[in-house]
Amino acid sequence: MGEKNQAALSIREEFAAKVKADNRREKLMKWAPVGVLAALILVFCILKGSSFLSLSNLSAILNQWSLPLLVALGLTFVIMIGSIDLSIDGTVGMVGSLTAIFVANSKNTANLGIIGLLLAVLCSVVIGFLVGVIHVKFKIPSFMVSFAFMNICIGIGMLSYSGKPATIRDPLMMAIPKASFLGIPVITWIALAVLALCFYIQEYTPFGRHVYAVGTDETIPKAVGINVNRIKIKVFTLAGFCYGVAGIVGALRLGQGQIAIGTDQMFPAQAAVVIGGTALTGGKGGVMNTVVGTLIMTVLINGLTMMGVNPNIKTGIQGVIILIAVIFTIKHGATVISK
Amino acid sequence: MKKRRLMAVMLAGTMVVGLLTACTDSSKVSSTSTESTSDSSKTEGTDTGAEIADFKIDASQIPQEKLDTTLYVACSIRGLENPYIATIADGMDMFCEYLDSIGQKYEKQVLDSGGSNDVEIDNMKQFAAKAGGNAIAYADPNESAIAPSLAEAMAESGGYLGTAWNKPDDVGPQDYDPNWVIHTSADNVANGKATAKALFDSMGGKGKIFVIEGMLGNTASNSRVEGLEEALAEYPDIEVAHQDTGNWATNEALTLVETWLNDTPDVGGVWCANDNMATGALQALDAKGLKGKVGVTGIDANPDIVEGVKDGSVIATVSSNGYLQGGYTLAVCYAVWTGLITTEELPENYRTFLTPAIMITKDTVDDYVTEYVDSIPEYDFSDIWYCKADK
Repeated sequence: MGEKNQAALSIREEFAAKVKADNRREKLMKWAPVGVLAALILVFCILKGSSFLSLSNLSAILNQWSLPLLVALGLTFVIMIGSIDLSIDGTVGMVGSLTAIFVANSKNTANLGIIGLLLAVLCSVVIGFLVGVIHVKFKIPSFMVSFAFMNICIGIGMLSYSGKPATIRDPLMMAIPKASFLGIPVITWIALAVLALCFYIQEYTPFGRHVYAVGTDETIPKAVGINVNRIKIKVFTLAGFCYGVAGIVGALRLGQGQIAIGTDQMFPAQAAVVIGGTALTGGKGGVMNTVVGTLIMTVLINGLTMMGVNPNIKTGIQGVIILIAVIFTIKHGATVISK
Repeated sequence: MKKRRLMAVMLAGTMVVGLLTACTDSSKVSSTSTESTSDSSKTEGTDTGAEIADFKIDASQIPQEKLDTTLYVACSIRGLENPYIATIADGMDMFCEYLDSIGQKYEKQVLDSGGSNDVEIDNMKQFAAKAGGNAIAYADPNESAIAPSLAEAMAESGGYLGTAWNKPDDVGPQDYDPNWVIHTSADNVANGKATAKALFDSMGGKGKIFVIEGMLGNTASNSRVEGLEEALAEYPDIEVAHQDTGNWATNEALTLVETWLNDTPDVGGVWCANDNMATGALQALDAKGLKGKVGVTGIDANPDIVEGVKDGSVIATVSSNGYLQGGYTLAVCYAVWTGLITTEELPENYRTFLTPAIMITKDTVDDYVTEYVDSIPEYDFSDIWYCKADK
């Protein structure tokens, strides 16, 4: 009898210890991305000294961080519901191209100013909405629908300037990429505003909580009467909005509208979201994780560029460092699939 | 187990840091190459027949059955998002107007590879198969290595292909007789060198520069950089502060210059392997108030860069003249398809040759704008060798 009690006690103790260890690990994992970021900054400071930490480079990093942050914010919600969005390269490029031909430019006589920007974002919001609707109504995997829309958007973008990109001539739009407020570039303020909006949505609205619920297990919110399909459509629409603002930021920074603004944005954004600690399976993570994830990617590229690493092996090194970051930051053993 | 994993990760980390330090050093050394494998040396040769140089398409000599056959005309390009590439398609349109004028039946098509080797080869295969031998095409191979595959795709169904810019050194049109008719290129080495020298002169022959290369492994980029290196050898007081690839893209060049300016604020000039990247460099300079103070050069003569030459923010660019490349490549292929000339009678320097380029600097920009921007140049496509630089 005593022995039995003894065994039960040890099992209980073991279990308690395991929970404790798990909790500790969870806490550690939560801070791992920040650790990776700090380590990167430290390495570049040692190797490159004051020029890496100079005010002007910090401002350059903020500038370079804005577009990836915006893209990754949109993608974060999509990944949190366990879906995937391949339309990014197309939507961002399309909005970038449209922005330049809606405001005063070298190609046509349009001069819509701020309204032009809103119109351009509206296009990507509509695209996001369509991706969501087709995904849930026709029950087509999100990666397939969004892949199709990537191509559609590239098509629209290319058609909009047919080989001869429009240069932005609107004095206000030309001034934005050069301007800063409180030492932070205006471009970055735009990204931060969207970040604040996304953070608010995630933390303080029912929709934000539903996103987590849908990502964890769709059947639970369904059982309590939440319209899961509507949540999904909203997520893709919100993502479309973020990509749209990213496209505008890209066009303003280049001073020109080109499809290339969106080219190769998707995978780095995906990597940034995952490195930040948002699980590809959905239900875990959030916009603050993405802030850290995108900062890691931006600092990495900025540092390598400043070091003057031989371009032939730079991409490879980038890959190795991303791999190391992933080893440190994501939870191992979890099933990694996307719905 | 955990310890071992941690050790492995730390080891990998140390390796990366080691690599980083090593690469920094090596990248700075790779500047001077004395090898002068300029494209021109390969294409120089004795002009064997004056008749060939004087050859013109005489429409009255073309058999009526050929004129009545639908000829499929195409240009295979990386995508229309680049202003230079768009002029190639314009060149095809201009050539098609010529076909109209002589009463040739045709159908034209733009084959867009979207920057993918496989897509470009597949496009060419489908196009050639559809045409059943009645095809002529201009192709800008996405990478050197795929030029023979494109020729093979054409050879399978008997059409005629002319390529531009990229091909492997050891394979050429004569290896795919008669289907791979010509391979042309602007003199990239000379163009890279000319823009570099203009930049260095504007800096008074001394100072620091940034170098932005095109896509790694791309013949055009490599040759332009080779030209830059030749110029660097002549200007010992010019120092390359940073060199990296911008992958031909505006946004990548913007990021590079934006970052480099922080540790090299005293840069004197930026050399770019094309104009798209020069646009990005200008944006980065503009944000720091350095536009107009730090000279930029590019290649391609994009409209905004030509404007930059006018206002003084750009030192030089070069027009490779896409109208001429696209239009005349098709004209030569057309002459072969009609049977007016055969590939056997063409000497090697009529199979692989350089096309003329136009250097645009402050002194020449006004003439260039009048002739090529404000109006579209007119060409006589019957004079097929007009596109040879050494004609």
